[in-house]
Amino acid sequence: MTVDIRRVGLVAGREFIAAVMNKGFVIGLLLMPAIVAALFVVFPRVVSTRAQGVRGEVAVIDPTGQVAGSLGESLSKDAIARRRLDSMKRVLESTPEAFRTMAGGSEAALERAVGTPPELTIVDRQSGADLQAAKDWLTAPAAPGGMRHLALIVVQPDAITRSDGHSEYGSYELYVPENLDDRLETEFYDAMRDAIVSARIRARSLDRAEVEAVMQVRRAASVTVTAGAERQTNRIFNQALPWVFGGLLIFGVMIGGQTLLTQTIEEKSNRVVEVLLSAVSPTELMAGKVLGQMAVSMLVLALYIGMGLFVLMSVALIGLLDPMLIVYLVLFFLVSYLLFSAVYAAIGAAVNEMREAQSLMTPLILALMAPWVFAPIIGREPNSTFAIVMSFLPPVNTFAMMIRLASTTPPPLWQVALTLIVGLAAAVVTIWFAGKVFKVGLLMHGKAPDMRTLVRWAKQA
Amino acid sequence: MRPVSFPALQLKSLRKTFGSTVAVEGMDLVVPQGALYGVIGPNGAGKTTMIRMIMSILFPDSGELSVLGRGSALEAKDRIGYLPEERGVYRKMKVAAFLVYLARLKGVGREDALTRLPTLLSEIGLQGVEEKRCEDLSKGMLQRVQFLAAVIHKPDLIILDEPFSGQDPVSVRILRDRILAEHRRGATVLLSTHVMAHAEEMCQHVVMIHQGRKVLDEPSAGLRRQFDPTTIHFEALDVAADRRRLAVVPGVGRVEGTDGAFRVTVAPGADPSDVMARLAAAVPPARIELARLRLEDVFVRIVTGSADQDADRALRASLAEGSEGVPA
Repeated sequence: MTVDIRRVGLVAGREFIAAVMNKGFVIGLLLMPAIVAALFVVFPRVVSTRAQGVRGEVAVIDPTGQVAGSLGESLSKDAIARRRLDSMKRVLESTPEAFRTMAGGSEAALERAVGTPPELTIVDRQSGADLQAAKDWLTAPAAPGGMRHLALIVVQPDAITRSDGHSEYGSYELYVPENLDDRLETEFYDAMRDAIVSARIRARSLDRAEVEAVMQVRRAASVTVTAGAERQTNRIFNQALPWVFGGLLIFGVMIGGQTLLTQTIEEKSNRVVEVLLSAVSPTELMAGKVLGQMAVSMLVLALYIGMGLFVLMSVALIGLLDPMLIVYLVLFFLVSYLLFSAVYAAIGAAVNEMREAQSLMTPLILALMAPWVFAPIIGREPNSTFAIVMSFLPPVNTFAMMIRLASTTPPPLWQVALTLIVGLAAAVVTIWFAGKVFKVGLLMHGKAPDMRTLVRWAKQA
Repeated sequence: MRPVSFPALQLKSLRKTFGSTVAVEGMDLVVPQGALYGVIGPNGAGKTTMIRMIMSILFPDSGELSVLGRGSALEAKDRIGYLPEERGVYRKMKVAAFLVYLARLKGVGREDALTRLPTLLSEIGLQGVEEKRCEDLSKGMLQRVQFLAAVIHKPDLIILDEPFSGQDPVSVRILRDRILAEHRRGATVLLSTHVMAHAEEMCQHVVMIHQGRKVLDEPSAGLRRQFDPTTIHFEALDVAADRRRLAVVPGVGRVEGTDGAFRVTVAPGADPSDVMARLAAAVPPARIELARLRLEDVFVRIVTGSADQDADRALRASLAEGSEGVPA
């Protein structure tokens, strides 16, 4: 049977317009970047990882007599603020300049990092104090107008000087009441570490500033050397890239596939399909629908890639991205979309309503979700046996290969070509099978079909 | 001029089964070009299956068919207009966009379709709905839109599966006029219905299907001769006229009725027109007419042989107007 390209084009055109001129589509299109923006820009500003503005007492039992004093210093507002500032500076140093700007500038970030530090008062218990009584103090309600009891710290006797025959120093125990903000607990750990280290250094008559300077080695920003060019390596970027490209691929397939499914079910359930079949053959109808939704997916992908490139450009990281990756993304998208969309179309034609599609959809969704699971495994070891096997195993091969291509050690070219060939072959077989199911299913109403029924239809067509 | 060397439609021993159910069996049919054919039969008789095979939406298990001189409707799609029994629209699409889309699928240019649209819509009583969404139209209006979708490309062959089902009387009248207009334009029309009155009113030729088999294939005019009516309705001018004066007229079999209104059965072998003349001479008539032959009667007579009273009644009920039942 001949396929009339003009009719296929008309069906594809209608399919595209119907999908794009839809409020839900526009909202969905904007929602994704909005969520990403919220995660990266709004979220860190709204959610503080630091305990803010707490006031209370911390009891210390210190048999060494050398820690409690330093602790008062380490838990002071200024010390807490200084530690927060230092850690934020370290984060900022490893963040590209542009992301710093995006997060609102270094100054603002530092200011936010400090916030309002907690106000803590140290209550120094005598070294022989009764532990049980001290614990009771922790659970006892604070006197009216008094301060909350936040923690009891018991320093071990050998925390500063090792006991004979031991190679390790002692440490401390931390007791806290119920419902203590765990961010506050972090402050205690940091302060105790600070106080004990200071005490140990003092006990050896060393200079803390000197020791720290000795320990400090500035981490170098590695430079990736490629044939003829060098570029700044960015670890975060390198780690994120496989995820982003794998995600775009899955996302693109799902957008077109889901719309294809719902629109086919709609055509069938509102009985417009037989009207169409008087004008176009089932093959033309399916081809038109698949191509129309492919255009929708490509549009969405183009928008997202465009947005991504814009962001990279505005943060001056565009040089980190190999343009070939986008070419591969488009290629792999086409191959995997053809395979998956044919199945989506066949399911849409086979069922009477969306509800019935669910059980048939399960394998499809699993196949689409699998790459999310193995993305980190492949991303870490892009040339492992697992990664190589996955790259030749339809229907996940295209996703696996995309992740490998986006990783730091891309696969040899012949493997890429083989993945494409295997993917195309799988797509052809799937389209052939799905086309038969589509043809028979379109005019079948009644009982919800199961997998066995679909196979029977394919044989029958 | 269109060549008239081949029929618009030709079916030869078509057979189609679904599992163990035989839907159509031994179907032969020739529809000449320019004809207006009615396919009648109760729900489930096999009409839709036959039409779907003509449209190459279903494929026969055995037998041959040709459509507009081609081996399959697929090769003449743009010249066929089809209104399926299972018909729908894109609910969110605007009426004009929907019709133009289908016209373009049928090979009509976009501009052409847009030019034709206002006239077509006003002819069918839907002027001004172009920009309305399909979901905003009433059911009757939608059915007319669907009919337009079948004829917007001026097809040579129009196939209408139950075009009147679910229609109000106004829509039925409008549709009937449009179908006749298409026929006058020169299109061959084949329509199926389970409502005998519709076929009776407009078709030149009637094909009856029962349980997948063709039981009658006659010109409407010929039907009248073949199933010559044997009942005369007679109303006397004088309400008190005596029944016995009619009963003695030569050629009269039986007379029933009272108060001057009678049903007169013509005796076997007698000529109804002679009998009518003699009746009028015997008693001055207010009204005298031959009982109208109804396809329903013909159908029931063919299928049941009038022997089984219960089957007879059930069949009549299924053929009466307004009995929708489950679509075949």
